[in-house]
Amino acid sequence: MKKTCTFVLAATLALSALLAGCGGGGSDPASTGGTDTGSSPPASSGESGSTDKVEKFTMSLRHIQIGEPQKFRKAILDDVVKKTEEEVPGLKFELDGLEDSVNRFTKLPAEMAAGNPPKIMSLFGGAGDAQKYAKAGRLLDLTPILEELGLKDKFLNVLDPFSVDGKVYGLPIGGNAEGIFYNTDIFQQYGLNPPTTWDDLIKAADTLKENGITPFAVGSKGAWVPNMTINTFIGRLAGPETITGFTTGAAKWNSPDVVAAYTLYKEWVDKGYFTKGELGKEYGDMLNDFVAGKAGMMFDGSWRSSAFKNDAVGAAVAGKVAFVSLPPLPNGKGDQTSVNANYGEGYGFSADLNDNELKAVKAFIKNMYSDEMQLRGLLEDGVLPSMKLSEASVAQVSDPLVKQVLDVLNGAGATFPHFDSVVQSKVYTETETQLQKLIAGNVTPQEAADAIQKVQDAENAAAAAE
Amino acid sequence: MKNALRNPYVYLMFVLPAIALYFLFFIYPMLMSVYYGFTDWDGLSKPNFIGLDNFIAAFSDPEFRSSILNNIYILLFSCCVQVPIIVVLSLVIAGVRRLQGFYKTTVFMPSILSTSVIGILWGYIYDPDVGLLNNLLKLFGAGPIYWLAEPQWAMFAILITNAWQWVGFYIVLMLAAILAIPKDIDEAAGIDGATGVQRAWHLTVPLIKPVINVVIMLSIAGALRVVDIVLVMTGGGPAGATEVMASYMVNKAIKYGEYGYGTALSIIIFVIALVLTALYQILIARRQERVEY
Repeated sequence: MKKTCTFVLAATLALSALLAGCGGGGSDPASTGGTDTGSSPPASSGESGSTDKVEKFTMSLRHIQIGEPQKFRKAILDDVVKKTEEEVPGLKFELDGLEDSVNRFTKLPAEMAAGNPPKIMSLFGGAGDAQKYAKAGRLLDLTPILEELGLKDKFLNVLDPFSVDGKVYGLPIGGNAEGIFYNTDIFQQYGLNPPTTWDDLIKAADTLKENGITPFAVGSKGAWVPNMTINTFIGRLAGPETITGFTTGAAKWNSPDVVAAYTLYKEWVDKGYFTKGELGKEYGDMLNDFVAGKAGMMFDGSWRSSAFKNDAVGAAVAGKVAFVSLPPLPNGKGDQTSVNANYGEGYGFSADLNDNELKAVKAFIKNMYSDEMQLRGLLEDGVLPSMKLSEASVAQVSDPLVKQVLDVLNGAGATFPHFDSVVQSKVYTETETQLQKLIAGNVTPQEAADAIQKVQDAENAAAAAE
Repeated sequence: MKNALRNPYVYLMFVLPAIALYFLFFIYPMLMSVYYGFTDWDGLSKPNFIGLDNFIAAFSDPEFRSSILNNIYILLFSCCVQVPIIVVLSLVIAGVRRLQGFYKTTVFMPSILSTSVIGILWGYIYDPDVGLLNNLLKLFGAGPIYWLAEPQWAMFAILITNAWQWVGFYIVLMLAAILAIPKDIDEAAGIDGATGVQRAWHLTVPLIKPVINVVIMLSIAGALRVVDIVLVMTGGGPAGATEVMASYMVNKAIKYGEYGYGTALSIIIFVIALVLTALYQILIARRQERVEY
């Protein structure tokens, strides 16, 4: 009898230790809830004020506006956050800033897999991002909210990468064009013409090379950076419709025109047009090299334009930078004024929201996607609006660099997307792997293209089987 | 109470919570990962059972095969280059009369730094423009070497950094063994006229063989699971030149969302590590007799 007693005692002791560990997490929200209600007078059923009793709640907000070059974007986000918190009683945002590619390729996929993404998150459009998560049911369907807020027709025709079956799951914050930034001081110093024709571009690159200046700054440790150049090469050499043709089978990576794009890139690598040791350089290094005058040009997205303001990270070259689109290629196909325009970056929202959080999301969308913020993005940050702005608003642009970006877009006969928002994620992965191998000299352009097409075929077949 | 403690079930009740936690956080995930290794799980949709496809794909995947080769390089480097250096350095430090504590502390220092710190630190040393190494080369008129950006140098650069990190730890292990050898053995040999080198090679080394074995085994295990230094310094680049099995697995599973395939890779890594350590144990370590002083 005594034995059983001690046995039970020991068991209780041991299990209580276990339960204490488990109980800790569970009791937490209850206790904070208790202190919240404790601050208000003891609840009585007859109290009419219970409707405006403020229930405090926090919401996670993942953004990628970190570091000096992004400070204008962060300021806009901060203002939207502040305004939304004022409008929604009890709301407190928890801002969680992460580096772009860490968020996009590491953290967010893991959170999506685990089913606990942030409530509001920076999100890219396309088959490998927004559409993949939307199909898995992780993202909030924004169609009714857009309807309710009257935003449905305010957006330009830019919602497709964020849409599945006509439903919208994310909203692009703005757009960008990719082209060439060049240092006008350096060009003047060596008597070079602006790189608006192919011959001038090649002459400039050769002259810079001879004088010990890197023609094109690039940081290829993250392969998405050189992929920007490849994307525009493909758009120009194989025609603007090629990019969207990969998933339908209308275009092939190993077709001669696309291989020509890879060949051209490799040629430039071999000629020493790009930063030496580019495979060890980060995206940030590319801007640093350009700002320091070590490089005369760089191929980058127009989002970089705000880095060359007087109070920004690239102040050293403020007023000495110009933006042009890649000049017409001599053996190109299709419209040679076409540019890559992408409206890929924006915000998405978790499908798992309670009523309060849904209210906060609505307020966030209302405040973030307003004419005011779109105009601020354009004026302060050089981001092209993703919504329809009046001509009078656009005319307020005074920054010469942003004007050049707008000129490039206005002068473009056609636009094409970036293939990272078109092709399946496995295919995109393969383009990164193969491009780095090409740069390192491990594969020929044809081999790289064949390898990518192999993955594309498999993915297209899998998509057709679904 | 005395009686109760004689009852084995009482002890069982005390360890039960620990076993439950162990099962929850170790056994269960392990079993689940074996299951996921046979599926095409992408983290988002329902996993489909695909049999051995992942394993077949892994062995026909050129990237994975080259990452196995890279692991073998690291293994050979740590066993054939690192271990002799460790033995020699330990013998030298053990023979030092003055400031021995200083040397011991100095060689041990890198082991207390976190790998991220070491990776970033050496990243600066290898920096092509402002790095210590290239500035040294410049003094001798040699051109800049892009240590971490050129496929032919990157693996070597990582091997050096990895060695720098771990040599100190093993030296301290080895030193403890050397200093535990009774002095009279060494002195007797000295009186018989053996030189320092002879004493080190014919007396000390045979006497510390068990520890050398342990160090070799730890090196093998370490070489097979090395990943942190690669992720911090190159992320597997340039163009996959420094990709090791574990970093390839992390990239595939986490970055590209191929959880099923990544899990299959982790099982392969586990099996390879198990087989190699077992082989070493059976073929080499077991054959040696224990040393009794």
